[in-house]
Amino acid sequence: MTTSVTTLEAVESFVPDRVVPIEQLAERLRLRPTKVRLFRRIHGLQEIRFDPELSLYDVVLPAARRILDGPGVRDRIRYVVYSHTTQAVAPAHIDPAREIRNRLGLEHAEAFAVSQQNCASGMAAVDAAAELLRAEGGPGDRALVVTGEQAFSPQIQLIPDIAIMGDAGAACLVGLDGAGDTVRSYATRTLGEYSAAMLLDEEKSLEVSTVYAPVLAEVVREAVEQAGLTLDDIDQIIPHNVNLQSWRQTIGELGIDRSRVFLDNVGRYSHCFASDVFLNYTTLRDAGALRHGRTYVFATVGLGATFAAMVITHRASGVAQEAA
Amino acid sequence: MDKHIVAQVEAALSEVLEREITGLTEEARLLEDLHLDSTSVMEMLMHLEDSLGIVIDPENLDMEDFQSVGTLTAYLARVAPEPQLQGR
Repeated sequence: MTTSVTTLEAVESFVPDRVVPIEQLAERLRLRPTKVRLFRRIHGLQEIRFDPELSLYDVVLPAARRILDGPGVRDRIRYVVYSHTTQAVAPAHIDPAREIRNRLGLEHAEAFAVSQQNCASGMAAVDAAAELLRAEGGPGDRALVVTGEQAFSPQIQLIPDIAIMGDAGAACLVGLDGAGDTVRSYATRTLGEYSAAMLLDEEKSLEVSTVYAPVLAEVVREAVEQAGLTLDDIDQIIPHNVNLQSWRQTIGELGIDRSRVFLDNVGRYSHCFASDVFLNYTTLRDAGALRHGRTYVFATVGLGATFAAMVITHRASGVAQEAA
Repeated sequence: MDKHIVAQVEAALSEVLEREITGLTEEARLLEDLHLDSTSVMEMLMHLEDSLGIVIDPENLDMEDFQSVGTLTAYLARVAPEPQLQGR
């Protein structure tokens, strides 16, 4: 018996048009001048997309709608999985996953959210969706993983000294043995002792900053090994946009050249909750930088603290998986 | 240690740590004794860019330079332009 292969049949993203240089956020986020300079000069942040005039659904739905425009997609969606970082993205009486499903006109699908891994929840949602399809899906069934949220308060917009959060949304169509990129492996590690996240005391915060790069590098290596590959086989790491300094340290741990990690979107969009890896994927793809048959690694960290990496092999649009 | 640089380091640390820092000795360790983390070291360098007229290259920082006040001031003396040191 052969195991079916998880495929990412389509990935789309959305960012609001409104561009805000990080200096303009100093007052809202109560950042003194040296903190702003830290974010720009050391962390490499320049601007974010941030538009309080938009609703949550204005940010979340456009990418998903583009995927649903594809022929034959809509009727085969069995699950809508909304992956988000902030626990309460909507008032308590609203279930945002069901609301997203309904606004997309996918009432026939089952809807649920994955958020417990914070910014690493996107990859967890892809994995969970694929396992559900494997367990109970019919031939041709698919899942739609949707990410997207807004930095609606200063407390959510700032991870002190680490990141300034931007707005973005993304969607990923997950299938089994379908067309699109194949998922070769998925590695994840949760260090539950840091679950207090932004409420950790000083000592524990210092510990997190010490283990961050080594553990992320280990999880990336673990995913690569699970895929039966070595780091030399990887074209590029498609990372989260947390900041350049964290990635300088992680790149040092990995012992790879800086050019092997796609960091251009750190300055352009900053960290957009659970959407980063999908957003960065679409930037690379639209620039023609993803090559058919080459292998890439999604890598991200969620507060609390979950480290995750997923190895994918890119296949140009419309190329079906070769028979095993 | 260059007294002018030490004074600027004390001023930078006072802002970053939000408490007055004076009387730094060469042996004082930044992480263990002064309780800085790598990010607060970076923020201190941002402050020193202005006060010492230096430009930090984030791509070429070596944490070995930030072990103690002595290694820090030696690093700053290397990267600071000469006129700054003449003011001591």
